[in-house]
Amino acid sequence: MSEPQTNTQRNAVPVVLLIDDSQFVHRLLDARLRSESIILASAEDGKRGLELAQSEQPSLILLDLDMPVMDGFEALRELKEDPKTRDIPVIVLSGMNSSQDKVAAFDLGAIDFVTKPFELTELRARVRSSLRMSELLRMLAQKAHIDGLSGLYNRQYFDEKLTTEFNRTIRHGQALSVAMIDIDHFKSVNDTFGHPAGDSVISGVAGLITQQIRSIDIACRYGGEEFAIIMPETDPGQAYSMCERIRQDCEALAWSRHPARNITVSIGVAGMPSGEQVTITPESWVEVADRNLYHAKQGGRNRVVASGLDGNPIGLAKAG
Amino acid sequence: MNAPDPNAFSLDINDPEDAELIEYFLSELPDRVDTIMAAFTNDDFSELERVAHQLKGAAPGFGFPQIGTEAAKLEQQLKGSSNPTESLQTLRSQVDQLVSLCNSYINPS
Repeated sequence: MSEPQTNTQRNAVPVVLLIDDSQFVHRLLDARLRSESIILASAEDGKRGLELAQSEQPSLILLDLDMPVMDGFEALRELKEDPKTRDIPVIVLSGMNSSQDKVAAFDLGAIDFVTKPFELTELRARVRSSLRMSELLRMLAQKAHIDGLSGLYNRQYFDEKLTTEFNRTIRHGQALSVAMIDIDHFKSVNDTFGHPAGDSVISGVAGLITQQIRSIDIACRYGGEEFAIIMPETDPGQAYSMCERIRQDCEALAWSRHPARNITVSIGVAGMPSGEQVTITPESWVEVADRNLYHAKQGGRNRVVASGLDGNPIGLAKAG
Repeated sequence: MNAPDPNAFSLDINDPEDAELIEYFLSELPDRVDTIMAAFTNDDFSELERVAHQLKGAAPGFGFPQIGTEAAKLEQQLKGSSNPTESLQTLRSQVDQLVSLCNSYINPS
């Protein structure tokens, strides 16, 4: 069973972004941090630094305070105001050893403060310490979004992401689809084979979903035996095909705890092709998907029912 | 003040990484000296302060703590007076000291 995709970045080499107007500092830190297992990215002014912070999403930023054009305080303020860069820890570098600057930097959200000229052993230790902290925070934030049993995202994260993707669709006119997946007759699995068997069905179906989705999709455990997938840039026809693969995989899977009892899922999809005007709320979008799920159940289960936001069905549900 | 011990930064010319840094610093130094001279000649005190500030922060890390100390004095001099031309004499001598120190590394006799 494959892990959820959120776990794949854990072992990546962390990127540390240095924002400093002095070539000397870039050259010095490039040499002195060579022994650390990091990738050093460089920006020579605050504006470029903000751009790189957004595009590279570094694990740590080393930010010089005294820079012409945009000084470090201004850059720090902007980094902490932007949701995309807010959570990246920042170590402030300064030639001034003034408590006033330190207090101002910490109040703006800096995680640490290092005075130039650098004591290099100390700087390396502070970089390592901040990277450790940032990794722990990232894991904690991720854990808060992950459902323990299935390894998929939880309901809260689904609600957040649905709003984000919904707004993106309104802004850019991209396609978007949402699927609701329910395990058929789940209660009888629990009743017949016991709750541990039910739990393994939940995590098993979650694994099948994870194998089919693409990296941009967001799969969640929506409730008890119900799952939901947000599929950005996906029209209802494409969403139908992917869900149909999940349905087939599930039907075909043999279960060690109950080899004679197959598990099937019913799926409702609601989607919008690109370039259409969104006229409903995220909540009613999910309701359309839910209604299609209901139709799939009514139609005999083990099938996918997909429609546009108007509820007009597309594709034919395949009987199991 | 917890000023770092200047000796903590003396580099080892036999260490390849240290040698690379020393070489780089020395290759950049003539440019900075030119900038300092030009800025002083043109009464561009903010540029002068910027270079002094950079040297103060960087030189010790490249194994030149004395340049850092002299640059710090020059920066202090510029910061201290609202109108640097009033103390032009002191300023000139501070610039001279920094420049001749740098030159002693650029052209060792």
